[in-house]
Amino acid sequence: MNPLPLDSTQPRRDFLKKLAAATTAAMMSRGGQLIASEAVVQPKATADAVIILWMAGGMAAPETFDPKRYQPYEKGAPMANVLSTFPAIDTNVDGIKICQGLERIAQVMDRATLIRSCVQPDLGSILHSRHQYHWHTGYVPPQTVAAPHLGAWMAKVLGPRNPVMPAFINIGQRLEGHGESEELKAFTTGGFFGSEFGPMNLPVPDEAAQSVRPPKGMDAGRFENRSALFRKLLDQNPQREIISDFQRESMLRSLENAHRLLSSKERAAFDISLEAKESQEAYGAGQFGQGCLLARRLVENGARFVEVTTEYIPFVHWDTHADGHATVERLHQEVDRPIAQLIRDLESRGLLDRTLVVVASEFSRDAMIEGVPNSTAGDQATVKGDTLESPKHYGLHRHFTGGTNVLMFGGGMKRGHLYGATAEERPLVAIKDPVSIPDLHATIFTAMGISPKTAFDIEGRPFYATIDGTGRAVRDLFA
Amino acid sequence: MPRFPLLFLLPCLAAVLPAAAVDFSHEVVPILKTHCAECHMGDKKKGGFSMNTREDLMEGSENGKVLIEGKGAESLLIQLITSADPDEQMPPKGARLTAAEVQTLTAWVDAGVPWTAGFAFKKGAYEPPLKPRRPVLPAATAGRENPVDRILDAHLAKQSRPVPAPLSDNAFFRRVHLDLVGLLPSPEQLTAFLADSSPGKRQQAIALLLNTPQPYAEHWLTFWNDLLRNDYAGTGYIDGGRQQISAWLYQALLENKPYDQFVRELVAPVEGSAGFGKGIKWRGQVSAGQLVPVQFAQSMGQTFLGINLKCASCHDSFIDRWKLDEAYGLAAVFSAEPLEIHRCDKPTGRQARAAWLFPELGEIDASQPPAERLKQLAALMTHPENGRFTRTIVNRLWHRLMGHGIVHPVDAMQSEPWSSDLLDFLATDLADHQYDLKRTLALICSSKAYQSVSEVLKEDADRNYTYAGPRSKRLTAEQFTDAIWQITGTAPRKFDAPVKRAGAAPGPEQALTAKWIWSGDQKTKAAASGETVSFRTRFHLAALPQTASAVLTCDNAFTLWLNQKEIARSDQWEKPVAVDLLDALRTGENEIVIVGTNGGQGPNLAGLWMQGQLRFADGSLNSLNSDPSWLWNSAVPNPNGLFTPDPGDWKPAVEVNGAAWQRINDSLQGLLMENANGGGPMVRASLMKSDFLMRALGRPNREQIVSMRPNDLTTLEAMDLNNGQILTTRLEAGARAILQKQAGAGSAALVSWLYAFAYSRTPSPAELALATEALGSPPTSAGLQDLLWALLVQPEFQMVR
Repeated sequence: MNPLPLDSTQPRRDFLKKLAAATTAAMMSRGGQLIASEAVVQPKATADAVIILWMAGGMAAPETFDPKRYQPYEKGAPMANVLSTFPAIDTNVDGIKICQGLERIAQVMDRATLIRSCVQPDLGSILHSRHQYHWHTGYVPPQTVAAPHLGAWMAKVLGPRNPVMPAFINIGQRLEGHGESEELKAFTTGGFFGSEFGPMNLPVPDEAAQSVRPPKGMDAGRFENRSALFRKLLDQNPQREIISDFQRESMLRSLENAHRLLSSKERAAFDISLEAKESQEAYGAGQFGQGCLLARRLVENGARFVEVTTEYIPFVHWDTHADGHATVERLHQEVDRPIAQLIRDLESRGLLDRTLVVVASEFSRDAMIEGVPNSTAGDQATVKGDTLESPKHYGLHRHFTGGTNVLMFGGGMKRGHLYGATAEERPLVAIKDPVSIPDLHATIFTAMGISPKTAFDIEGRPFYATIDGTGRAVRDLFA
Repeated sequence: MPRFPLLFLLPCLAAVLPAAAVDFSHEVVPILKTHCAECHMGDKKKGGFSMNTREDLMEGSENGKVLIEGKGAESLLIQLITSADPDEQMPPKGARLTAAEVQTLTAWVDAGVPWTAGFAFKKGAYEPPLKPRRPVLPAATAGRENPVDRILDAHLAKQSRPVPAPLSDNAFFRRVHLDLVGLLPSPEQLTAFLADSSPGKRQQAIALLLNTPQPYAEHWLTFWNDLLRNDYAGTGYIDGGRQQISAWLYQALLENKPYDQFVRELVAPVEGSAGFGKGIKWRGQVSAGQLVPVQFAQSMGQTFLGINLKCASCHDSFIDRWKLDEAYGLAAVFSAEPLEIHRCDKPTGRQARAAWLFPELGEIDASQPPAERLKQLAALMTHPENGRFTRTIVNRLWHRLMGHGIVHPVDAMQSEPWSSDLLDFLATDLADHQYDLKRTLALICSSKAYQSVSEVLKEDADRNYTYAGPRSKRLTAEQFTDAIWQITGTAPRKFDAPVKRAGAAPGPEQALTAKWIWSGDQKTKAAASGETVSFRTRFHLAALPQTASAVLTCDNAFTLWLNQKEIARSDQWEKPVAVDLLDALRTGENEIVIVGTNGGQGPNLAGLWMQGQLRFADGSLNSLNSDPSWLWNSAVPNPNGLFTPDPGDWKPAVEVNGAAWQRINDSLQGLLMENANGGGPMVRASLMKSDFLMRALGRPNREQIVSMRPNDLTTLEAMDLNNGQILTTRLEAGARAILQKQAGAGSAALVSWLYAFAYSRTPSPAELALATEALGSPPTSAGLQDLLWALLVQPEFQMVR
């Protein structure tokens, strides 16, 4: 039995115990102080590492892990008939069917917990960046303070698993050069914890090795000589009076840490070209597959929190405003093989039990409904019409927040388990055991041994791992 | 006076008569102290409820009134101490009140909550005075006359602690440059300063720095962009949910707008300044605490008063005295629509009424339209009797210069200063001098306190602060970037900020002085259609210029080579081209070749026009203008701009005039101005959008107000310094540029120059030996690049000490 935190009935003021004593003058120092409170019981961890596999742009549940009535493409067919554009296939778990195209994941379903009833708030206007911010920080933007990413919470509360390995690594997302890059940066951050707890960004898996290597054009010998020169000059620095200065020391410590990683054996983990050819191929040639392979290597070498994304670019990948069926068919191919392979690899290395893998997306999609039924959100489909007139009309082109899939593997979760359900006919909303983002986060935090009520004193007020400490771990998901 | 003196005369009746005399001091006080103090006295006010004073008690909690005078049984306090529900009973743990104690308290409430006048359980939290205060300045000691020193010397003397040691000229010069204009002093400036033996030279240096508007403005732009959450890219700008105030802000800093006027224009906006108050409007629904008017309240409170209204915009603050209604009152000043007060995102059914935080100074007339209300708010904010307004800004400036606020953190102006004399003095001094922020900066920089060595910090330096001299600061991302650009001369030519950079007015340099030229006198014979002519000019350079640029066009098409390198081509004569010539220039002989082609149907007017300018380190200018001294030839060069063999036969070009060309004069002028600006003072990092390196070095995402950047270098930042692409590329280009300019100087001289620039000092013999060896002899580009790196990541470089 896992000692999950008790669902406290204590009102919020109890968490202010320590806080009330803190003067405002103590606030803001070095990214906040942990607020100790007897009401917060840190649970026993069932996982040591997390890998988030992020289906960026809105993964349609009826096209992936929650198949509904299949509507093949027929010119002239009413759009309202379209629920799923892929037929369902069996998995290796009785009673769980998923969409055609995900055959390899179907064969590891016996290691998975599948949640079909995740729900997102109706923000009145669908913006990927706002929902992504919400999913990654637990807080709906805007916020009066910079909310930290889930990975930053792990880095701050748990620290690195291996002292040389950055605790929070973010793979596959380019943060420059497209329409919403500023919005992505707003949550891809350590937030008020500070950049020490922010992500190490590895936008291109193939080039990850570069980020822990000497700069381009500098061989290892020259790199070492340069560092040696730095240290010799430091030793000769005549400013003796400041040798003991704490700020100076802490600056040198950071430089030393950085150098340690750049010259450590773990540095090889960043280089996927060192992987055997068969194993590289097993993950597929795509960027996401290579990212999954990189994530496995990093976790093997002690990374705490890794996110791998299919990459969010407006109107690209899972953001299917048009031509949904063809796009998702391609995406099935991109993600099916690497996800299944990652699970098998982690398992064969004995890592799956203590590594929580979470496949998630900011919301689902629907052919007809924008947001949820009766939402005021404006229609953003780029191909409209009541009937299927060409293949580009065929697919789920609107953003849907009423029933979203999350797939979890390992890390103390049940295996071959199905949780929650959505309606069989439109609207395909969660009709059983809805799971909110705070509760989903509470589940992830709890698995990692962090109470969802964990709070830090930020500008004199408590800031919780889940909003106002209200997230509740979904007990039924735990083995 | 007690409210019920009669009852106090009859204490003996208390036991027998219900609702009768209760001895507050002897009966009530001990009960409250025993059962309630832990959470509701002193600085504890759980649930927003304090019992410190009768006023506090009667004000109640976040749940409303706790006591109803004369109605004990109906009072929440009595209900909670008698409740059987463990979720709501008080006290939540520990011994419950006895029946007798409950009876005493009930009787006390029934009796109208009598209280001993002036009694308080404990002093409440510190409440800063509102009004300005003029402290009496202590006598100067040891000739230290600056008011800052008079106050601090007395402060230290009282604590029997020593005055910090004085700072050397070198360290002072570096510090004051970085602090006031954000730049390193150049080796030449440093040498001149050190050689100057006049006693007033530090004072002069301060004055000079503050009197050069552009570097000052472009340094403090960073501080204000952070504080006014303004940037050149970011959330909201793209869809109009956010407006820049860059142009207004830049101009305000350039002309050193008096701070009261500056703030009035931000509160009640003028053209270009509205973006701050408008905040960020997100598409879709946001929580009540982030509606634009509520953001307005938070921003005004934080930036100008150091008051944190973030808690109070959701519920009465638990940590200070601000109330939900006060936050909403300020929000309602801004709001054009009726604004319903929401508590924790739930509507309360009450409408906010425009009001401001300190009605003692005057009220907002809620019946007026928003623009008028904002004007009233602007006047109240900058009211001469609003001491909190001036204290907040002088504290921020003190923090920037001295490394630690007089109130710290600087946004917690509700807390007690470590020297209220110092804070109050600086605040009134600002108001006394037309709110001139440069005056405050000069005052602080002129003090012996500022001109002292930095405190050596211990790990616990942030706890229990005691003043012991200035604290060193970390270079901001912008200072770090600028410093590298300064040393290596690799600043970009163009900048992102939509501002009018100083010096942009068309001066004599931008007059159109070049001539239109062609191969023959077109008054007698127009050029044939398709005629192709080569033009050539040669010039000698003893030294390379710092900048070299040109604007050119040709009716109808041209290709330009400089020293056999193709620089530009165009076939749209009406769109003149600006080119940078610097990279292709060399010392000694240089050659420009331009092939021009006439277009059109049949013979027509053809012409080439180019105006260039080379700017040298000593400020001198050379022009590079097309005129009849240029030569022409009908031969055309090979694709490298080389004539093989040289056709000989070069003839002087002829000046030509075409009325049609006049109509592009404006665009020629515009491009020349842009070039002149690019060739003017170095483009500063504060004018650029953030990049990976700046972000890694702590330039914040400006969705929220930032008043203090982190002082620590983190491991991830150190990784970027170690192998980040931006820094690597910059140092590569920088090493090349330095070698080009300092060619022949010799390794030892180059090392001394680097130490002078980066650290404002000479290297020790040991350093000189190490660095010279690293450079190689003659210095290599790789050697210099690595030495630059090893010098720039040293704490001595990254800190303003």
